[in-house]
Amino acid sequence: MKAALRHLARDRRRTLLTLLAVLIPVYFLVFMFGFANANLRDMFETATRFDTGHAQIRAEQKKATGSAIPLMRDPSDALAALAETDGIEWSTVRLDLPALASVGERSRTIYVRGVVPEQIDPIGKMTERIVAGAFLETGVDGVVVGEELAGLLRVEVGDEMVLLGAHPEAGLSAIRAPVIGIYRAPEATLGRTVIYADLGTARRLARSETAATAIVIRVAGITGPRDRGALDGAVGELRAMLPAGYKVQDWVELVPMVATYMGILTPVLAIVAAIFFALGGLVVLNTIYLSVLERTRELGLVLSLGASRGRVMRMILVEAGLIAFAGAASGALVGIGLILIVEAFGGIPLWGAAAEMMREIGMSPVLHLSVNPGQAALSSAAMAIVAVVAAWWPARRASRLEPVEAMRYVE
Amino acid sequence: MSSSAVMRTENLRKVYRTGTIETPALRGVDLELHEREFTAVAGPSGSGKSTLLHLLGGLDQPTDGEIYLDGRAMSGLSKDELARLRLTRIGFVFQAYNLIPVLTVLENTAFVLELRGMLRSERVARARALLAELGIDEYADRYPSRISGGQQQRVAVARAVVAEPSIVLADEPTANLDTASSLDLIDLMRRLNEEKGATFLFATHDGRLLDRVNRLITLVDGRVTQDVVQRDGG
Repeated sequence: MKAALRHLARDRRRTLLTLLAVLIPVYFLVFMFGFANANLRDMFETATRFDTGHAQIRAEQKKATGSAIPLMRDPSDALAALAETDGIEWSTVRLDLPALASVGERSRTIYVRGVVPEQIDPIGKMTERIVAGAFLETGVDGVVVGEELAGLLRVEVGDEMVLLGAHPEAGLSAIRAPVIGIYRAPEATLGRTVIYADLGTARRLARSETAATAIVIRVAGITGPRDRGALDGAVGELRAMLPAGYKVQDWVELVPMVATYMGILTPVLAIVAAIFFALGGLVVLNTIYLSVLERTRELGLVLSLGASRGRVMRMILVEAGLIAFAGAASGALVGIGLILIVEAFGGIPLWGAAAEMMREIGMSPVLHLSVNPGQAALSSAAMAIVAVVAAWWPARRASRLEPVEAMRYVE
Repeated sequence: MSSSAVMRTENLRKVYRTGTIETPALRGVDLELHEREFTAVAGPSGSGKSTLLHLLGGLDQPTDGEIYLDGRAMSGLSKDELARLRLTRIGFVFQAYNLIPVLTVLENTAFVLELRGMLRSERVARARALLAELGIDEYADRYPSRISGGQQQRVAVARAVVAEPSIVLADEPTANLDTASSLDLIDLMRRLNEEKGATFLFATHDGRLLDRVNRLITLVDGRVTQDVVQRDGG
């Protein structure tokens, strides 16, 4: 070990180069994983807090309703079953109705989302999203529209809007409602299409005092899209307790984009990691090979004195292992350190078209990073193993040297 | 074979082949090396001295013939078995590049003991004692690059004998040394031969060293042309 360290200290430049060949891939991977994790979590949080929850109870589809969610005429039995289910952190009743919003001669196809304002606000942080006017209050007639829709319909707070409900199961109906607030949606599509109304107002449009389209649920203990255990447990239990005519859909079914992104992300990250590992491994192979070449006479001497081939191989592999361990650990520390520094400054803000594009797809215009110790450890361990494996061939070559020829070797 | 023969060769031949060109280096060498002998192999450049030492040391394989070490034939041994044989029975001193540069004098001396698996405390004590005995213990903690060529060769001799091998083979150990250092080194080897009973066989083309040996083997063109025992050598 001492000799290996001295060998490494002897040619500091090569040792540094080898160290960097291990460090850089690990650092990049930790950083890249940090970025991917944070953005995946961001997408997941946005979708599940603002839109879908972790799961929803919905009515079984009995007849074609087009893009409209089937109505639950009276979900009290489903709510009773939900109350008996363990692990539910939060739930609320929601009524989503396809409608036409008209102001003057301008109109847009939208969804009226009837909510219980006091329940939806703490989770969706709706009050924080209001950019003009105020958010809903139970019993107060009025709607809150997205910035995008407000722009398209050219409405302001205080303007009156005509909503023409067109749910296939509820029939046509129309109401007038004042715009009491304008909100900033996390995703531009939502801002263009979703109008918030008090549940009572939406039920008036659906011509039913008890109708709902979903009971939105958040399950306790879920911090990200990979936490499946708690969700599967709660959903399974709920499915068993619900009366006939209901179904439970989890977020994977409700926001397939996040699940798809997650599904794509894993192989993409694996491919990128493999490329980094291969490049790092090649550099390690090259530098260890050069080191063996330069030390041919010394290795010949060691073999002449009676060292076994295994011993010579171990000598080289121990050196490679030391660099691999140091490089991998440093890479992880540098990556984690950089992530912490970036996050201490509030992430990496995007601006202009890039920021708009991110908002359009429901992602934060500020790039955040998060440390996943497991991934950092895995990246480090994998790169360290790749480095040692890469050193195997030069080590084997060293062990196969003919002592006499090796001692005659001239650089 | 004499009961005291440490090493014996029978019709030892070595031919180097480069493509279709064959260069005979040894053309049938029969030798017996006995315990406690202090033998020089002399001869001009290209006479086969180094080749003979490499074959005797198991560093190379003969084209034909046989070598016996302590009565055991060396042909047919695998590379790992030959390595084990070198480690346990043979000490080496080479012409140059004898020491491992990243190890101190003490560590270089103890290196073969480490390869043998001896405990650190034991091998350090043994190496340090030998260095003291040879009067070079003051360099124990220095790296080879910090001592002279003559001192380096003395350390190489110390390393060769520290594990008490059956025979020490030295290939032109004085080739890179000045006269005084050369004589010092040969005297050191002779002292170890006499005091510790170590058997030495060294190759040289330096005539000044030959009156210090008790047996002189002369090689010319790969053949032994003279084998003289000088009982009063040294």
